[in-house]
Amino acid sequence: MSSAPPAQAVATDKPSHLSVIVDLSPSQWHLSSQPPPANTFPLTLNSFLSQLLAFLNSHIASKHENTLAVFGAFPGKSLMLYASTESETINPSAVDANSYPPFKMLDSTIIKRIENELDQLDTDEESTLPVALVGALTKALCYINRISHFSAANVSKAKLPDSLTTSDPHILILSVSPDLSAEYIPIMNSIFSAQKLKVTIDVCKIYGPETVFLQQAAHLTGGSYISLERRDALLQYLTMAFLSPPSIRKALSVPTQDKIDFRAACFCHKKIIDIGFVCSVCLSIFCQPVPVCSTCRTKFPIKILQRLNASRPPPTPGSNGLSRTTSMSGTGGLPHSGSIRTSTSNGTLR
Amino acid sequence: MSKRKDNDFMDVDYDSDISMGDDDDFKVSKGKGKGKTVDKKKKEKGKGKPKDVQAYTWEANFARSWDTVQEDEGGSLQGAVNEFMARGRRRRLLTPGSAIRRTIIRHLVLLLDLSLAMLDRDMRPTRFDLTLQYAREFIVEWFDQNPLGQMGVVGMRAGLGERIGEMTGNPQDVLKAISERHKLEPTGDPSLQNAIEMARNSMSHLPTHSSREILIIFGSLTTCDPGNIHDTLDACVKSKIRISVVALAAEMKICRELCDKTGGQFGVALNEGHFKDLLFEMVPPPAQRNMTSRGGNPAADLMMMGFPTRLPDTSPQSLCVCHSELKSEGFLCPRCLAKICDIPTDCDICGLMVVSSPHLARSYHHLFPVSPYDAVQTLQDASFIPDCHACGRLFPTTPLTTVTEGLSPTGRYRCTTCKHDFCSECDVFVHDVLHCCPGCGK
Ligand SMILES: [Zn+2]
Ligand SMILES: [Zn+2]
Ligand SMILES: [Zn+2]
Ligand SMILES: [Zn+2]
Ligand SMILES: [Zn+2]
Ligand SMILES: [Zn+2]
Repeated sequence: MSSAPPAQAVATDKPSHLSVIVDLSPSQWHLSSQPPPANTFPLTLNSFLSQLLAFLNSHIASKHENTLAVFGAFPGKSLMLYASTESETINPSAVDANSYPPFKMLDSTIIKRIENELDQLDTDEESTLPVALVGALTKALCYINRISHFSAANVSKAKLPDSLTTSDPHILILSVSPDLSAEYIPIMNSIFSAQKLKVTIDVCKIYGPETVFLQQAAHLTGGSYISLERRDALLQYLTMAFLSPPSIRKALSVPTQDKIDFRAACFCHKKIIDIGFVCSVCLSIFCQPVPVCSTCRTKFPIKILQRLNASRPPPTPGSNGLSRTTSMSGTGGLPHSGSIRTSTSNGTLR
Repeated sequence: MSKRKDNDFMDVDYDSDISMGDDDDFKVSKGKGKGKTVDKKKKEKGKGKPKDVQAYTWEANFARSWDTVQEDEGGSLQGAVNEFMARGRRRRLLTPGSAIRRTIIRHLVLLLDLSLAMLDRDMRPTRFDLTLQYAREFIVEWFDQNPLGQMGVVGMRAGLGERIGEMTGNPQDVLKAISERHKLEPTGDPSLQNAIEMARNSMSHLPTHSSREILIIFGSLTTCDPGNIHDTLDACVKSKIRISVVALAAEMKICRELCDKTGGQFGVALNEGHFKDLLFEMVPPPAQRNMTSRGGNPAADLMMMGFPTRLPDTSPQSLCVCHSELKSEGFLCPRCLAKICDIPTDCDICGLMVVSSPHLARSYHHLFPVSPYDAVQTLQDASFIPDCHACGRLFPTTPLTTVTEGLSPTGRYRCTTCKHDFCSECDVFVHDVLHCCPGCGK
C-alpha cells in the first residue's frame, strides 16, 4: 500500500486537528516486547515510537494547515509532549541538511520529553503505577477546546471565521494498559465532552486486554476501535485507519465495531447484569435489592424492598453464575411463558 | 472572603433580573455601597440589555442582545468574554459542592401560552416564533442534561388547555410535537387553571422519586379560568408539583404566587437574550433542598432498571414494539425480550425502565461536581509553571491592573485538590462541560 495520505484523495478543504494520546506504561511495554512464545509479534517501545513518528509526520505532511498535539500518559502523571501551535525555536546547529526541519523538530521534541519522563521514574514502585489516561484525555480535550474557540463561540458565534470552528478534530488513543474501574466516571465525562465538542475518538489497542471503556469512547463519538492482530504492521494500521480525518471516513469504509455491549456492571460485585436496582439518589447499580445504598448511605423504605423482591425476574436462585446463564440462553430464543406472566403482572411497577 | 462578596453581588443581580421597575435605583444604590466598582457594575448590567440605559424593552429601538454583547471600548470581544466567564464563576461559587442532592429522574410539562398576546412583536420576530425557537433549543439541552427525564407539552389557547405532546423520554418526539407551526397558531385567551389541571393530571401517577415540574411560558396579562385557581394551586402543592413561570409581558401576582408556593422560579424576560437565560436556568436538575429540610428523605427509592442487549446493524430485520416498523437495529428488553427502537424508555410491553449504562453515567456529573477553582490573586502566589496545566497556554507574566470581580488578575485558576494552575478558558470548560479536573482526575 502506498502511504500517500488519503486526505488528498478525497477533496476536503478543511484542515484537520489530530491529538494523539500515547500510553507509556513501562511495565506494559516491557511485557509487549517479550519475544515468542510470550508474544507472537513482539513490539518494543523503540520500534513503536519510530512507527508513531512516521505516522505523525505524515499527518503534518498531508495538509499544510493540519495541526497536531501529542500527549503522554505516564505512570501517575500526564504531559503534553508536543503541540504544533507552540512554536519552539529550532536550534540551528541541530538542523540536519538531510531532514525536513519540521519533522526533525517534532521527532526530537517528542523523543526528548519521553526520555526525560521515563528517566525520572527511578523506583520500581513508581513505574508500576497505572498510567494517567484520564489526565491525558482531559488535557487533549482542553487543548481542542482552546484551539476551536468553543467557549468564546458561546458569546460570539457570528464573528468567528469558519476556518477556526471547523477543524474536524479527532483524538487517537494508543493504548497498552487495561481498564481501571476507578476511571469509569471521568472517562464517561470525557466522552460526553468530546460529543459536545464534536470530537471523534479513535482507539488503537496495541497490547493488553480489550478495554470496555475505550470501546464505548470510540462507539459513542463515532470513531473506530481497532485491536491489532499483526502488531509488527502497526504503521500500516495507523495510516490506513486513523490518518484520514473523520469527515472522509465514510468513503474509506474504516472498520467500526458493531458488537458493543452497554449493559452495566453492578457496584457490589462488578458483575455484568441485565436487570439491576438503581439508587434514585446517587444512581449506584446493585444486582439485588439492598436495604441501604452502599455509596450514599440512603436507606430505602421496606415497602419498596418487598415489592422489588416480589417482582424480580423469575429464575432467581441467588447464585450469580446461574442467573447469568439463564438470561444468556433467553436472549437468543423465545421468552418462556413464566417470564411473560411475571412481566405483565408487574406492568405497573418500575 | 472574595467568595462572600460574590454571593452578595449575585443575589442583587438576580433580583434585578426579575423586577424591572427599580432597576435604575439598583444601580445607584449599588454604586454608593461599593464606590470604586461602579463602572464595572454598569458594564456588567450592560451585558444582558441594550447598551443605552433603557430598562424597558419597548423603549429600545430594534436591538438584539447578541449585537450589544460584543461591543467593547476597544472594539474587541475580550470584555464580553470576561463578563461571560465572571458570570459563570459567580454562578458556580453559589452552588454548594457535593452536599446537595438532585432529582435525577425528572418529569416536566412545558406549558406554552398560545393566546393572542403571543403575537406581540416586542420580541423579534414575534413572541410566538421566538418561544417556539427557544423551546426547541431548550428541549435539546434539557434532554442532554437529563437523559432519564421525560417531557410533555401542553398549550393554552381559546380558554382551554390543549395536549400537544404526550409525556415521553424521546427528545425527537417532543420536538416533533411543536414542529408544525400552523397547528399551534395563537388564538383567544389563555386559561392557566385549565392548562395546569391538564398538566397535573398527566403527572398524577408518577413514582415519588421523580420530580414533577411545570414550566410555563406566559405572554399574556390575563387568565380566564372556570373556577378558583387557588384550589388548583393547593392541589399542586399537595402533589408536590413545582411550577416555574417565565413571563414575557410583566409580573402577575398569581404567577408569582404559583412559583413561590410550589418552590419554583419566577422571572420576567426583559429581552430576547434574557428570555433565553431564564428558560435555560430550568435545565439543570433541581436541588432537593426544601424536601429534606422538612424532615425525612421522601425521595429515596430503589428503581428496577433493565440494561438491554443492542442488536447489531447486521441482524435480521424484525418489527419493533413501539412503531411496528421493520428494521434490523434496536434493543431487546431484558425482561420480556420485546424489541425497542430507542432507549432510555419504559418498555411498551412490560413497563420496565430500559436504559443503557452511558445514560446513567451522563447524570453522574450532577452528583459529583468539580469543586470551584481558586482565582490566584497575586504573582507571589503563582507557581513557577509558566503555562496552563491542561491546554499549555502561557500565562501572562504581568498581572492585569483592572479586573472584573471574581476573575484572577494573573489569569490563573488553581484546583484546591491537585494545586495545578489552569487558564480561565479551561476553568470554564472544566466546570461547565468536562466535569473532571485534568490535574487530579476528579
Ligand atoms: Zn452485585
Ligand atoms: Zn445511593
Ligand atoms: Zn419503534
Ligand atoms: Zn419489557
Ligand atoms: Zn488552559
Ligand atoms: Zn485538580
